[in-house]
Amino acid sequence: MEKIRDAFDFRDFSKPEKIGFAIFTLFLLLFPWLGAGSFVKAVAIQFLLFSLFGMGWNTIGGYGGQVELGKAQYVGIGAYTVALTMVWWKIPFWVSMPIGVLIAIGYSFIIGYPLFRLKGHYFAIATICTSLVLQDIFINWKQVGAAKGIELPIHEHPDFLYMQFKSDTYYFYFIMALFYVAIFYMNWFRKSKLGYQLRMIKEDEEAAESLGIDARWCKIKAYSIASAFVAVGGGFMAVYNLYIDPYSVMDLDLSIKIALMSMLGGAGSMWGPIIGSGFLVPLDRFLGSWLGAQKGLIGVDFMIYAALIMIVSAYQPRGIWGIIEQFRKR
Amino acid sequence: MIVLDALLQGILMGLLFALVALGLTIIFGMMDIVNFAHGEFLMIGMYTTYWTSLLLHMDPLITLPASAIVGMLLGLASYYWLVKYLLRGPMIAQLFGTFGLMLFLRYLAQFLFGTDYRIIQKGLLVGKTLALGPFLLDWTKLSSAILSLIAFLFVYYLLHRTKLGKALRATALNREAANYMGIKTERMNALAWMIGGGTVGIAGGLIVNFWYVYPTVGILFVMIAFASVAMGGFGSIKGAFFAGILIGMLEMLFPMFGQLVGSDFFGPHFKFTVVYFAYFIIVVFRPQGLFGWKK
Repeated sequence: MEKIRDAFDFRDFSKPEKIGFAIFTLFLLLFPWLGAGSFVKAVAIQFLLFSLFGMGWNTIGGYGGQVELGKAQYVGIGAYTVALTMVWWKIPFWVSMPIGVLIAIGYSFIIGYPLFRLKGHYFAIATICTSLVLQDIFINWKQVGAAKGIELPIHEHPDFLYMQFKSDTYYFYFIMALFYVAIFYMNWFRKSKLGYQLRMIKEDEEAAESLGIDARWCKIKAYSIASAFVAVGGGFMAVYNLYIDPYSVMDLDLSIKIALMSMLGGAGSMWGPIIGSGFLVPLDRFLGSWLGAQKGLIGVDFMIYAALIMIVSAYQPRGIWGIIEQFRKR
Repeated sequence: MIVLDALLQGILMGLLFALVALGLTIIFGMMDIVNFAHGEFLMIGMYTTYWTSLLLHMDPLITLPASAIVGMLLGLASYYWLVKYLLRGPMIAQLFGTFGLMLFLRYLAQFLFGTDYRIIQKGLLVGKTLALGPFLLDWTKLSSAILSLIAFLFVYYLLHRTKLGKALRATALNREAANYMGIKTERMNALAWMIGGGTVGIAGGLIVNFWYVYPTVGILFVMIAFASVAMGGFGSIKGAFFAGILIGMLEMLFPMFGQLVGSDFFGPHFKFTVVYFAYFIIVVFRPQGLFGWKK
């Protein structure tokens, strides 16, 4: 009971944050009725999805300070579980999604146990490696569609059980609901025992261990929480796109984007991942559609994106939220 | 016999992997930075040799210095314009900084040259093979392996037998002490990036003789280089050399193993998966690598 109260307790935020959050919520609720086109709606769904991913990454990467670059494998696990069970046994989304999350958690414990013997660069590269190995397996595994991927069966009528709707509006509200569950969870998480332990480990691991914190176990726990978040998002991706392949749900680029958005927004802060994805997803999409359509400019959008990454990491490693806090302290 | 042949091919490939890994391990040893853009440096070295040899109508082996110079300039530019600032920040910023550089170079190449797969088709050695007893060796691979061995030995000599190399190693061991001794550590950092860029540029110029170049070719080689560097121990030059050869052999032997077992599953499409897996196993069970001195 106390946990639930904690999750809804936003009292320790400053006034501008509370007002901003309320306005943002109101805006999201009204968003589908503001006359946005289908492209803008798709961008908004992407934004919420990546915020969800980012908040998951933030537990281990932000609060825990571990540079984790292999989240795409859990997106893949979530997406493939939903897609395969639906194609093979016609299992509804509401059953297969939790199964996917459980598989992701189990897998994260198996991978996490050896992985968290490592620190720093070794850890970062090892997470990339595990993700690439899983991607390679899925690319070559004929029973699950190999490189061609799988298409989900399309139902004639909208079906809530299988999460198939004609309009993006329903998907929007669904991912928004997930997004708010994630926000309330994160609000509880940052005040939980594990949250404080992780921040201590980030500051000074040896000191944390000398105080009796089992650093490795804490990290594994946070890692599995992050994986669960990401697997939920993966499941959503499967039913939303109706088509998945190893390149779209397990690519290294996806892992990097997830980590990057949190870092750009401000890792280890409540609003960082949301700000980061709110900044990068539209930038990515609009630049892509604007420049990609023009001939001879392929890749320029990514170059701008990359330049931005370099500038932020060179001048303000704490991200956009770091810049905001800097101004507030003056 | 077939195994011996694969081993020989693996050693030739491994010498190139070792040269790719050399720059990465020097840079890591100097300033604890993993350069994600390393594979993209290689890609640019490949394109440089490709275009210079195509436009100047010269043999790709003669235009190799162009690749080396472009690589060195690239290394210097990325140190002075980016890495210098990244060094002040936390590790995550360093990782993403070089990652941004990687994306930037990759899409710059895509913008300039398109996504076509390109390979050198004309050249003194292209397409010729050398029959060495029962083994058939491509001249391009053989000459590349020999040249990369020479480049490797040259850098090894530079680092271990010259005063400059001594200063560089001193900086790697203890930056502050080196600074007190009057070594300009900033310049040593830049030198490490220059050597790193130059060697990987040469490697690129050699690899393009028998490997297609396209804008995203870097990620494959950078992962192999990470694996070699981890296997040899981060910061160890000798380690990078032997680990590169070992990985070259592993990568050639694995498809062989599949053929011998007769299983479809262990096909050649998994040959790089094995490398990633080897990295994982090695860093988990022997984090300092085979020859490592930095943990």
